[in-house]
Amino acid sequence: MSAQLQITNLQKRFGGLVAVNGVSFTLSPGEVVGLLGPNGSGKTTVMNMISGALPCDGGTVQVGGTDITRMKPHKVAKHGVARTFQLVRPLPTLNVAENVLLALAFGKKRHWGREARELVDQKLEFVGLAGRGEEKVGNLTYIDQKRLEMARALASEPDLLLLDEWLAGLNPSELRIGIDLVQHLQGQGMTVLLVEHIMEAVRALCSRCIVMSAGEKIAEGASAEVLRDPAVIKAYLGDDHA
Amino acid sequence: MKTSYAFALAGAALVVLALAPMFIPEYWTGVLLGMTGYVTLATAWALFSGPTRYVSLATVAFFGVGAYTVAVLNEVMPYPLVLLCAAGIGMVMALVVGLSTLRLAGVYFVIFTFGLAELVRQTVSWWEVNVTYTMGRYVFLPFEGRHIYWQLLALAALTFLIAWAMGRSRIGLALKALGDDETVASHAGVDVTRIKLLLFVISSTIITLVGAIQAPRWTYIEPSIVFNPTVSFMTLIMALLGGAMRLWGPLVGAVPLFLLFEWLSVSFPDHFSIILGLLFILIVFVMPNGVLAKIDDLRKGGRA
Repeated sequence: MSAQLQITNLQKRFGGLVAVNGVSFTLSPGEVVGLLGPNGSGKTTVMNMISGALPCDGGTVQVGGTDITRMKPHKVAKHGVARTFQLVRPLPTLNVAENVLLALAFGKKRHWGREARELVDQKLEFVGLAGRGEEKVGNLTYIDQKRLEMARALASEPDLLLLDEWLAGLNPSELRIGIDLVQHLQGQGMTVLLVEHIMEAVRALCSRCIVMSAGEKIAEGASAEVLRDPAVIKAYLGDDHA
Repeated sequence: MKTSYAFALAGAALVVLALAPMFIPEYWTGVLLGMTGYVTLATAWALFSGPTRYVSLATVAFFGVGAYTVAVLNEVMPYPLVLLCAAGIGMVMALVVGLSTLRLAGVYFVIFTFGLAELVRQTVSWWEVNVTYTMGRYVFLPFEGRHIYWQLLALAALTFLIAWAMGRSRIGLALKALGDDETVASHAGVDVTRIKLLLFVISSTIITLVGAIQAPRWTYIEPSIVFNPTVSFMTLIMALLGGAMRLWGPLVGAVPLFLLFEWLSVSFPDHFSIILGLLFILIVFVMPNGVLAKIDDLRKGGRA
């Protein structure tokens, strides 16, 4: 079976700083994979290059066999890649339903009218915001804004979902809800790349992990093994703990 | 149901306004004409600048180009063709300006558009003095005030129709979204550059046509008249007063302000600019989102 996401030898420099250096990995359809690493290791830069927010200095990104390396973000979205943002970014002029409607109207297909409204309700119900479409996004609690962020991403009808620390900042019971939601998606066969610092979530969700440090991939494999890898522990905690 | 009711009401208002010149003195037809011009300018301005929040001061650049097109071409081709040419020139100019500037954000865009208006004015002046050896031009077209007024009224109706349709369309939703956050909009699949360009072109073309239709009104035009930056500022403040994010906002702002300015420019011609400036400051401080939003807030406040 062909890979859902295949990135090959990805490169990114910011001036003299090499932010991402020759990173390659592959996600099979339906896989939920964690992208880990200490702050500044280049995880979000990789996410930004996959989603088209940053141009790549080298390497390729393929989604479902199509090369999307040079595509602008809106084209990437239409090719079935959706993302959430590290800090939630709801659109305040739009209400909750309109935030979701936007991605439906401009995602893979152009949904509009009654059909789109039904799909909005469906997405809102899936993330736990049923019946709250008319609310202003400014009135939502933090977890609800996270839910909205997820609903908007799903409304693009993606084949690949990029979650950039989507679970960060939640309290323990909210975290449980968040993990359940991602597991639910997993059950539906969604391919997910997850940048995450919360190890509880990584263990619960990711069969496989990729670890980055200083712009390079330093480990890849089954989550349990990778998290025991001395090189990974060293990257996170320093030499004394290895 | 509600929509068809609103359409019937708007249609009736349009008929009344169109018949008005038959029953009112010539002077008041002139006032209606000027008012319709500004309502159209403010509504067209808000079509792009309202949701995107790209504050444009280039209004008069397009307005003046429209007027000059008529002045230059009215003797060599039939009038409808002249209008078509004006629209075409406005459209091409908006495309060029849009492609080169819509990457600019915030205050840079404001300054650029202001500079653009000056640039166009100086270029036209230079051309007229050094190439064609004329400083002003005469526009002789067999139009009375009401003829011009009817044309403007039709353009105003068309502008409202476009604004209304836009507000209900995918593009309208995308515009609001990119006004909030261009990055999020683009990751949701919105081709941000293309939509901004599209709306800028539509808005600028309408503004060009307002200038073109009004040209015969002056009979004599020169750069300092048709490229007067006050037009840009008045358009802006009218849209802001009523609320640039709402369909009827610019109308609600344009009508009273036009009447006020008309009265001020007659009664206090020397202090007009000062009063305009003070009003500007007042409106931005007291009602940054416009009268309609303020009324909404007050009503909600009253209920809570």
